[in-house]
Amino acid sequence: MLKGVKLASVLAVASLALAACGSSSDTAESAAPTAAASAVKVGMAYDQDGKGDGSFNDAAFAGLSKAQTDLGVEIKEVNSGAGATDAAREELLTLLAEGGYNPVIAVGFAYSTALAAVAPKFPETTFAIVDSVVDSPNVGSLIFAAEQGSYLTGVIAASASKSGHIGFIGGMEIDLIKAFEAGYNEGARSVNPDIIIDSKYMGPAGDNTAWNVPEKAKTATDGMIANGADVIYAAAGGSGLGMFQSVKAAGAGYWAIGVDSDQYTVPALAEYKDFILTSMLKRVDVAVYDVIAALVNGAPLVGIQAFDLSKEGVGYSSSNSAVAEYAAAADAAAAKIASGEVVVGTTVE
Amino acid sequence: MTYLKSHRFIGSAFTAITMLSITRTITSNGDLTSTVTIAQALVFASPIALAGLAGIWAERAGVINIGLEGMMILGTFGAGWAGWQWGAWAGVLAGIIFGAIGGLLLAVAAVTFGVDQIIAGTAINLLALGTTKFLAILLFTNAPGGGQAQSPPIKGKIPVFTLDSIVEPLTALHEKGIFFVSDLAGLVAGLFYNMSLLTIITLLLFIMTSYLLWKTAFGLRLRSAGENPWAADSLGVKVVQYKYAAVVFSGMLAGLGGAYLSIASTIYRNGNTAGRGYIGLATMIFGDWRPGGTAAGAIMFGYIDTLRLIDTGNQNVKGLILLGAIILFTIGAWMLRSSRRNTAIGFLLLGAVMIGAYFSATSFPPEVAQVAPYITTLLVLATASQNLRPPAADGVPYRKGEDH
Repeated sequence: MLKGVKLASVLAVASLALAACGSSSDTAESAAPTAAASAVKVGMAYDQDGKGDGSFNDAAFAGLSKAQTDLGVEIKEVNSGAGATDAAREELLTLLAEGGYNPVIAVGFAYSTALAAVAPKFPETTFAIVDSVVDSPNVGSLIFAAEQGSYLTGVIAASASKSGHIGFIGGMEIDLIKAFEAGYNEGARSVNPDIIIDSKYMGPAGDNTAWNVPEKAKTATDGMIANGADVIYAAAGGSGLGMFQSVKAAGAGYWAIGVDSDQYTVPALAEYKDFILTSMLKRVDVAVYDVIAALVNGAPLVGIQAFDLSKEGVGYSSSNSAVAEYAAAADAAAAKIASGEVVVGTTVE
Repeated sequence: MTYLKSHRFIGSAFTAITMLSITRTITSNGDLTSTVTIAQALVFASPIALAGLAGIWAERAGVINIGLEGMMILGTFGAGWAGWQWGAWAGVLAGIIFGAIGGLLLAVAAVTFGVDQIIAGTAINLLALGTTKFLAILLFTNAPGGGQAQSPPIKGKIPVFTLDSIVEPLTALHEKGIFFVSDLAGLVAGLFYNMSLLTIITLLLFIMTSYLLWKTAFGLRLRSAGENPWAADSLGVKVVQYKYAAVVFSGMLAGLGGAYLSIASTIYRNGNTAGRGYIGLATMIFGDWRPGGTAAGAIMFGYIDTLRLIDTGNQNVKGLILLGAIILFTIGAWMLRSSRRNTAIGFLLLGAVMIGAYFSATSFPPEVAQVAPYITTLLVLATASQNLRPPAADGVPYRKGEDH
């Protein structure tokens, strides 16, 4: 029996150790030699599995690496890992702050609770959080007007649709993603008031698997296409791949619209690029770069920082030349939103 | 099907189609029995069914396999890793091998060392999760088209068959909306539409399992290791070897289930199993540790998932509510006859509540459909637990020569 207990404990310890390896792989890189070496050390905490998602986290990394080359800052990156608890996230942020990293940037709304607990303990450190508001004098809350960018993709979708029927695939059913849907619907209806819009979420609030189920997103998209939809927009993280697969299988005449990064140029999605009409760009890279640049210039960005159309914090991509046909309509809508003539709502009626 | 009493099978299939057909006619929602729904339900059901079948193999030999989820994760990873480099079939093979490694680990811990099986299985789940994440960062980060959390796309495809000569006339028949006939047509056409070779393999594995475990001397010995290993040992059965074989094969099946998932979504992605190993375990209990019931449970999960996802007008969930009510009424009426009055009244009342909900609400939130399979499993456990019979020595550590 003793042997058995020993083995069990070895297994348990080994698995915990490996789980730890998996969730926080640190890839510190030293400052690039091109710019004058600055004393600023940037700590970056990604959500879920970090870089390589071809979307949200990669966009944050793009801003970080731009700061590294342009401003010569030193960087340190950590991942929360999927399903991380608030306690684990607190620990990551505390470690970065204690290690002298300033600013510390938390990528993703999932860090809200943890950051609210950690920020007051390090009043000298500037923190930033993407996609959430944390009320503390040393935190910059980077908010994106995703509904405005989605409005533009809605305009493009409705203009490109021949059947007068489009679709939306959401990840987790939370207010953050519903804002994408709301803007998309509003934009589409501004072009065609009678347009039919199908909508489907991959999971309810709290169901973290919603971001990782491409096979379900594929089935949902298949259902929409069978029902007559010909342009589909997904804001569903890793599940979005399923939409691209389904649209590609449907063939010419069907379009997919990507999200966060310019998915037309993402290598992992290269085989679907001919079907990616455009992507709603959420310029997390711009926001991350701005936070770092502000600190380097000695004027930290704190409080609510809204990145909307007027600041080019959101937009649509035009790397697929097919979108040129609809660009005029989208740009006109963008001008109206920027001037305040159109106010886009964030809730689905 | 060799061992199944064929009249019972035909009878329950007939009842099921009739109930589906009544629901379809009342709701006039063709999706409920359409070719596409059935075909997709089989795709969603297969990984769950394989996990459930893996559970049957381990538990029939007396080893509780909580580690199914972990073995499935290993399978998804193996398929992504090998599939990206050497094609889909290599991926299937690697998924099976990776799953077998997980099974072997459980066998060593639970059979050789007699570790508490629940703890050993949980350790495997944690170990698989951590190892695959670690390896994904190591192997996929710099691979073209890969990332820290996902593999590059799997090369090549597993053949998928569509028999147009059967599907087209039957689908046309389905669209006519004739009671029973059209529904049967849709169900049959679904079996010949986009049928993956892996789904066929899954089906064959179920048939093979029913035959091997219940019709051969090998199966009798294996099951005796799960019912009464001491008695089996006294009759000369090599209990430990049978347990090893069963648990490793269980790992292979779970690994195949994982590979199925990776191939269906063309990549490995962290967290892609989304708890299907545990759902497989639930279907095994739902199915009374037998292949037929387990397959039915898995198809129920797959069917409901499909209807929820392809639903574009929020009508499918409503249809499912009605279907649930009809099923409850049927079971309730059947129970009244077999004089289990209290349970029967409970079923009839619940059915009445669902009928009321069906006629008073215009649509239901999709979450209702998501929890439906779990509620069904709970209902089965609550009402049929006297009839469910797990192997007698399931979860009991066995030591050769020890007195019982």
